[in-house]
Amino acid sequence: MVGLAILTFFAILAAIPEVLVGPLQTAVTSIGPRLSPPIDGFPLGTDELGRDIVNLTVHGARISMTIGLLATVVTVAIGVLVGIVSGFVGGRIDAVLMRITDFFLVIPTFVLALILTPIIRDVVGSATTEVFGIRMTLIVIVVVIGITSWSSTARIIRSQTLSIKERAFVDRARVVGAGPGYIMRVHILPNVINLIVANAVLVFAGAVLTETTLSFVGLGDPFQPSWGQLLEAARSVGAPGLGAWWYFVPPGLGIILVVFAFTLFGSALDDLLNPRRGGRR
Amino acid sequence: MTAVRDRELPRQAVPGAPLLEVTDLRTYFSLDGATVRAVDGVSFRLEQGEALGIAGESGCGKTTTALSLVRLLPPNARIEEGSVRLYGIDLVEKSPNALRRYRWREISIVFQGAMNALNPVNTVGDQIAEPIIERLGLDRKAALQRAGELLELVGIPRKRADAFPHELSGGMRQRAMIAMALACDPAIVIGDEPTTALDVMVQAQILELLERLRRDLGLSLILITHDLSVIAETCDRVMVMYAGRVAEEGPVGEVFARPKHPYTQKLLAAFPNIHADRRTLEVIPGSPPDLRDPPPGCRFAPRCQFAMDVCRTDVPPEVTFGDGVRVACHLYPQGSDGVPITTPPDANGTPP
Amino acid sequence: MGGSFVARRLGQAAITIVAIILINFVLFRLMPGSPERVILRGTPNVTPERIEALRERWGLNDPVFPDQLVAYITSTLTGDLGYSFIARGQTVVDVLAQRIWPTILLFGLGEMVAIALGLALGAYSGWRRGGPIDYLGNSVSLILYSTPYFLLGMGFLLVFASSIKWLPTFGMLTAGRVYGSPFEFLADLGAHLVLPLATVSLGLVGQYAIVMRSSIIETLSEDYVNTARAMGLSEGRILRHHALPNALLPTVTLIAINLGYVIAGAITVEVVFNWPGLGTLTVQALTARDYPVLQGVFLLLSVAVVLANLVADLVYGVLDPRVRT
Repeated sequence: MVGLAILTFFAILAAIPEVLVGPLQTAVTSIGPRLSPPIDGFPLGTDELGRDIVNLTVHGARISMTIGLLATVVTVAIGVLVGIVSGFVGGRIDAVLMRITDFFLVIPTFVLALILTPIIRDVVGSATTEVFGIRMTLIVIVVVIGITSWSSTARIIRSQTLSIKERAFVDRARVVGAGPGYIMRVHILPNVINLIVANAVLVFAGAVLTETTLSFVGLGDPFQPSWGQLLEAARSVGAPGLGAWWYFVPPGLGIILVVFAFTLFGSALDDLLNPRRGGRR
Repeated sequence: MTAVRDRELPRQAVPGAPLLEVTDLRTYFSLDGATVRAVDGVSFRLEQGEALGIAGESGCGKTTTALSLVRLLPPNARIEEGSVRLYGIDLVEKSPNALRRYRWREISIVFQGAMNALNPVNTVGDQIAEPIIERLGLDRKAALQRAGELLELVGIPRKRADAFPHELSGGMRQRAMIAMALACDPAIVIGDEPTTALDVMVQAQILELLERLRRDLGLSLILITHDLSVIAETCDRVMVMYAGRVAEEGPVGEVFARPKHPYTQKLLAAFPNIHADRRTLEVIPGSPPDLRDPPPGCRFAPRCQFAMDVCRTDVPPEVTFGDGVRVACHLYPQGSDGVPITTPPDANGTPP
Repeated sequence: MGGSFVARRLGQAAITIVAIILINFVLFRLMPGSPERVILRGTPNVTPERIEALRERWGLNDPVFPDQLVAYITSTLTGDLGYSFIARGQTVVDVLAQRIWPTILLFGLGEMVAIALGLALGAYSGWRRGGPIDYLGNSVSLILYSTPYFLLGMGFLLVFASSIKWLPTFGMLTAGRVYGSPFEFLADLGAHLVLPLATVSLGLVGQYAIVMRSSIIETLSEDYVNTARAMGLSEGRILRHHALPNALLPTVTLIAINLGYVIAGAITVEVVFNWPGLGTLTVQALTARDYPVLQGVFLLLSVAVVLANLVADLVYGVLDPRVRT
């Protein structure tokens, strides 16, 4: 499984960037020549501040992937909650929740995220607390991605909940007198775990892409550059036009590979675990 | 009803040849490196105006036999040997493109479960008209006109030609498929389990329709089914297949009243008879052989209560009797007079 | 097609649009600081009287619910989207109007090219399944799918801006150029259009090809295709007349669903090539915190997507008679 191999590589990069390349270089600590192509000591060249691209890319791995991971957690949490409740409880609550879900599926959530981020950032202020090593500015992005991306997860989980609901053991639980909360937690949830995992992998790929794009349009944090932020920096100094491929190709490749790997892996998981997809009708 | 064209013979027809003559047909499948001998030496004849029923368990090769006639086989299948002579023209020898010409115009098929056999996005009328336009070259107006006639013929009001398949009931869809099969005025219509997916009342109607069409249009019919009662009602002759070979074949009355082959006897016995005294259904023990590695000799031998040593080694020869029945069983060797050479073993299972 | 089918879809679309307007309203109120402070930001000499006058003017002294809400909805529906912060004096509608055509040009053409190419490639792949072209096409599609559009764009920029300078890479038209004839204009426009168009199309082609391919494969294994073969129809006719119409159905659905995501790419591609459309407008407004413009863009794009989905639904109804009942 090619996907898995790529993923492990990046997971390692993300987990221990400091061990591999030392702490994230800043404008102050940069030591290289400005915007230089790969030379001795700088295998991937430098940026306009003289920072080593290898250093930046590896740290970017951690930042991009951590944000992706956190955003996935939020997205899946909301999606699963809405999906299970909606599917299980049914009736009017289901109708209302589904209308909301469909709404989020239709509108361009990216634009919504675009607007929400600065608003929430201004509200939250510029606290410098870090969550999992990620600054608040980027946590805002995590939250925003979470609140805009949950709908497809919700739909999928709801479908599955609906079919599980009909199964005998759920009826048995109800007859015995178990409350809805209990049933949802103990009976339904374990049976959708497979689906959740498969879906989460794909959500992760999407979250990384979304974060990258949001950073690219200027919502990233220059002090904690994710790959998207690096790309934005590259663009604003005109790297492509100057032929400075080393600036944006490494982070770009990183994104492509991670998303590709996760998508491959996610489809494979989906085929394996999704009970609906096996075989023709 | 106006015929589109006279029932003229194809150009290459051999005068005096029977309508359909299949000789030693062998169709094999390649599956995971192994060869499945699905049809392994099947021969039969169909005369003009006859209705032949092909009966047998699932997997005995009856559908594959029928599909082999027009080479409607999946990519991993091939006709290994044998000939299929339509009016004396060997279809097996034809190239795929040449063979295409005979499809539907000479031999058409009514598939089972017309639920999915009809294209959901086209109207029924359009689908019936399609072969008329494409294969007979009529213009759209004339083709739709004829489609309407065909619908009336099968008992569907002409105006329903504008309906989509999902708007028709199961029975009507099957009738529409029959109308479609008749579109190019074929010589032979093959019905592949045409009534299996339908409930009993509708089944009766469809069978009645087929019978009427046969009379009125002089159709020749090949009916494939595992349901012997359908064959008993509609067919002139029946061919019982087992594991890719013919077990017994002959006039329906003869075969059903006096079955010679042990398998035919078991098959008939396995059928619930509402008039018979109450007894448990007889089940044929065991299961059909794996056709990748069929037993040498008679393929029914492992399950046959009359099996003799020769059955396990030699393929039983086909013997034809005066009453028109053909059997492939060692109980009836060459020159036999129709009486099995051994009387059945007594209750203890010991041969006499 | 059933009147109720159309009516239902229209109704749903209308409700969605109202919801969008509501969200916009809430966003405006959510903004940090009081709205008036945001509006007046950057303006010198802000006196309390000025603030009060502004509050009156903007109706901010009225109760939020229902007065402000109703006022907001009515003004939006009548085309008053407020004033841009940065483009002083211009209404949001003016600002949007200036930028909308370049975007429609780029993305309209891009989608059309992508649909045409993607469907053709996908159909061919599915038809000749398993060949080397199929495998290659599949891999390429998957990789393209994983690549953010702007990255592609930057790649193009790299090649065409710094090495092979065949095509212009900045903006929509050469700045300051005077055109002798409409052809010159079109030529210049066309030259500028090539790279961004290629970027957009490539980004989309992959997805469409993949879906079309699996759709064709599934369709070809359907029973009615078997019936068509039994009829002796040519393979070409079977593909065109039986397989394709059915295979198109999920693709149409995909195209519609995709639109929301395409917009994200849209914005970024414009930024990379400095294409003067809604995308670059959005980013500029973002940097300047020009909220009215941002909300205007959100409203416009959302409505566009809703309408596009509506059209797709109706097209699907034309293609598949089963949903019309």
